[in-house]
Amino acid sequence: MPLYSITPVRLSLLIILLAVGAVSCLGQSTTGTVTMSATVSKFVEINSGGAVTLTGNSGGGVTTDGVANSPLAVSINLGELGPSNTNSFVTAQVPLKLRSNAAYVLSMVATVTSSGTTASRIGAADVGFGLGTISRTGLGVNAGADTNATSGDPTLAANGSVNGTTGRYEFTAVRSNLSAFSSSTTALSGPIIMNAVPRSNANGLTVPAFFAVKPQFFENGTTTISVTFTVTAP
Amino acid sequence: MQLRLFTFSFVIVVSFLAAAQTTSAQALDISSGGLPTITGAVSGSVTGSGNVRNDLVVTINFGEVSPLNTNSIVKVVVPIALRSNQPYQVSVTMSGLSNANAQAVQASDVGFGVQNLQLLGGAGKVCTQSTHIVQAPFNNDPAFSTSIGANGRVQYASSLGNLSGSTVILTGPQLSKNNNNNRQGSDGWTFDAIFTLTPQFFAPGVSSATLIFTISAGPNVPC
Repeated sequence: MPLYSITPVRLSLLIILLAVGAVSCLGQSTTGTVTMSATVSKFVEINSGGAVTLTGNSGGGVTTDGVANSPLAVSINLGELGPSNTNSFVTAQVPLKLRSNAAYVLSMVATVTSSGTTASRIGAADVGFGLGTISRTGLGVNAGADTNATSGDPTLAANGSVNGTTGRYEFTAVRSNLSAFSSSTTALSGPIIMNAVPRSNANGLTVPAFFAVKPQFFENGTTTISVTFTVTAP
Repeated sequence: MQLRLFTFSFVIVVSFLAAAQTTSAQALDISSGGLPTITGAVSGSVTGSGNVRNDLVVTINFGEVSPLNTNSIVKVVVPIALRSNQPYQVSVTMSGLSNANAQAVQASDVGFGVQNLQLLGGAGKVCTQSTHIVQAPFNNDPAFSTSIGANGRVQYASSLGNLSGSTVILTGPQLSKNNNNNRQGSDGWTFDAIFTLTPQFFAPGVSSATLIFTISAGPNVPC
């Protein structure tokens, strides 16, 4: 008997295998599958909320103004801050606009450098700071309660006074001057700002940042104040 | 004894082939209709076969759809091929994409439409007595049907939110001229399933869904 003789049994098995193979190779299907996924990462941004308002100044002016919904890059010359400026305060109001799809934290760091050499030069404590009324309005803006870590408008009577010992005007309220922001410090925080709307929706949370200096007998010289705002989604 | 075994096997084979013919005779078939494409994505992708003889197995990753993606829309076009020797219908079922947070991506945030129904090749059947009908509201390109809803959210003329259970999206007469049991490269029709997602301030997270396209016997319309 040959080694590979085809017996009826083997022939039957071969036919069955071929039949099964043929059917399985028909390559037809009545269903198809499409699977899909998408990722939404945390997103936060800070932009200008509009034009700067400068009041009480003698000389000076807004060098680079804010443009709503554009990157925040404002430059202000506060003008004369000595006693020749008879206004009670020189105040700059800088509108900020924040947007996020998650809880946010707005922090700030400030540096104040003066050409003066004595204790009477303008220092960080002489520059009042505060965040004003927070507004969450407009289509697509989520309602939520924000926490203002500052004391608001630094020129409010409750936020400063003349030091009875030194005679120097001081911003005394909590986080009411730039000395509280020598390192990155939270100024504002809150829940998600925007509902599910496209980026082309220009609404958001707006808040004015107040900077104020009371003209005094400061040491002669020039002073540069640099403030950086950073918003994060922890 | 051997003759009895052979006879028994022969009967089994004949029965098997008869059953196979009944269930698979070029009746209805759905497959890839070509290479899928994606535009406007950031870190997104789409994979699928460009060979119309291969099964429809497509994986879409829309990528980043928060405002970090500054493109106006992410659009995916999935060509799908159909073959039949009888009237047909195509239905879609969806699973997943049920985020509890209303601000997260929802089914209604994914635009879905059917366009570009066309012959796959010379062996595709052109019927003169009936037309292929894209069922409402899916006969649109969602990339060009966007609008802003009362809540400020982007909405589409049709979306995955219009799918409920097994939803028929397409019906029509016979699709193929021949009666070939094997998938050919030119024996049916194709259409584009179009999916869109507009980047928005969605709540953070990862969303996913699975769609199953099914072709089955449709309304008995003449060819």
